[in-house]
Amino acid sequence: MTAILESLDPRVKRMGITAENLNAFPTPPENDQFATYQVIIEPKEGKGYESAGIVHAPDAEIAFLFGKEQYSRRFTCSGMAVAATADVLASPFTENKISVYDLLEYASLEENNSAGEFYEVFHLYKRGKQHSHWGRVKAVNPEQALYEAKEAYDHSKPVYNIWLIASDNIFFADENIKQIWDTLPLKTHRDVRDYKAQDKINAYKERIKSNL
Amino acid sequence: MYGGGNSFEHLDLDRSLENEDPQLLAEFEARIARGEKIEPSDWMPALYRKQLIRMIEQHAHSEIIGALPEGTWITRAPGFKRKMALMAKVQDEVGHAQLLYAAAETLGKPREKMIEDLINGKSKYSNIFNYPAYTWADSTVISWLVDAGAIVNQLANSKGSYGPYCRALDRICAEEAFHLKYGHHSVIHLSTGSAKQREMVQAALNRWWTPLMHFFGPPDKMSTHTEILTRWKVKMSTNDENRQQFLDMYVPKIWDLGLTIPDPNLKKNETTEKWEYTEPDWEEFKRVINGDGPCNKERLAVRRRAEERGAWVRKAIMKPVEKPVTPLA
Repeated sequence: MTAILESLDPRVKRMGITAENLNAFPTPPENDQFATYQVIIEPKEGKGYESAGIVHAPDAEIAFLFGKEQYSRRFTCSGMAVAATADVLASPFTENKISVYDLLEYASLEENNSAGEFYEVFHLYKRGKQHSHWGRVKAVNPEQALYEAKEAYDHSKPVYNIWLIASDNIFFADENIKQIWDTLPLKTHRDVRDYKAQDKINAYKERIKSNL
Repeated sequence: MYGGGNSFEHLDLDRSLENEDPQLLAEFEARIARGEKIEPSDWMPALYRKQLIRMIEQHAHSEIIGALPEGTWITRAPGFKRKMALMAKVQDEVGHAQLLYAAAETLGKPREKMIEDLINGKSKYSNIFNYPAYTWADSTVISWLVDAGAIVNQLANSKGSYGPYCRALDRICAEEAFHLKYGHHSVIHLSTGSAKQREMVQAALNRWWTPLMHFFGPPDKMSTHTEILTRWKVKMSTNDENRQQFLDMYVPKIWDLGLTIPDPNLKKNETTEKWEYTEPDWEEFKRVINGDGPCNKERLAVRRRAEERGAWVRKAIMKPVEKPVTPLA
């Protein structure tokens, strides 16, 4: 039997980790990976949603759970949504104050929009920052959705990149589960304010001085 | 319009700089010079992509391996409050690894491949985590001073040129503030406590000083590639600059607690305003980075066992995607 590794880590003994665990790790199959989901957060009520980052998950429900742990574990928020990366339609990037809307060709409009679906529109106002939710448009296809967004946007700021997500493909937290974030302010052990210790240093110095 | 994230099916990471399109390279460099960020779908030289993958991946591995020496102290932390704080900190470190793997993945290398390369020893992580945490005092010194060193590096890199990495670092730096305070608080508690507690924390500081000096990497005169990586804002400060900044910020705080730093030559030169110190043993640094440190084998074995033990969970919930895509941002 191979000897268990010598270690200070109790897990090594408990899990019976031996030197055999150092053999080559097998390469997993190419598609042996969860899909990625974009996580979108509303930092404060009424502040609007913005992209926070991604999580890997097998479906939207677990993506929401992972998103909550990853992006609202330390800083509270008032809302969250997830969408599979594969369902996010992205425009090309622009720069130098050129708005991506200025490069859009006019889409041929369908006369009757009633058969269309809703799209959530996200804008990137500054390269390097996060995409933020601008609004929702109704259209028969993504091209027309872009045109509708172009018509409705006030163009006060250049937009360097656009994300479109069909509203049916984005999953927002229900209003009635928002209390899941209520407990965060109680976790003071995660907060720097819980670790003030200057008094202790001063008292120690006084003690040393008085012993001299 | 393109959908489903970016795909980088034919990444040629070995294309030399001389073979890059000069016009695209000039536009790329002008964008960085203007202070704009590079995003995943922007054109970038192969060397930039390769260096960033290597750097961000190593950073991610360091977070996940770095959680091991501290994680083992959760059950033995003195008191409920310290246990809760340490558990929260370890949870943060693993979360940081996820953020960083995601940022590296935007460059085209799948997360699972990065994990595989870590376990097989193909990619590195910070040397400092190959040293053991003998006592609770070691755990507190890691929380305070290793995290302090990490913050120095991360704050510098958060001003870099690659958008997804900068965004991940902004979030990480905000979270690290609690780690630093918690670690300092724990060290203060031991330093101002009983004689035995002071002895423990001094012994831990003695053990960690050399790895801390190694932490920022070899002296600048021994480093290569710095010029172009600095121009591309991949590397935002040199190893020596980071080491100096760490000494500037934390030596006075260590001395303030009446602790002794195990380097008789450590002092600030008032003329140059630089810290002078005994060069740590760089041969030891090389040995450890090449796998011959006190805990290299153990760290990878524990990581591998965690991967194997979690495999059935991933398999149970897995819905294979036909063609994995990389994240958008």
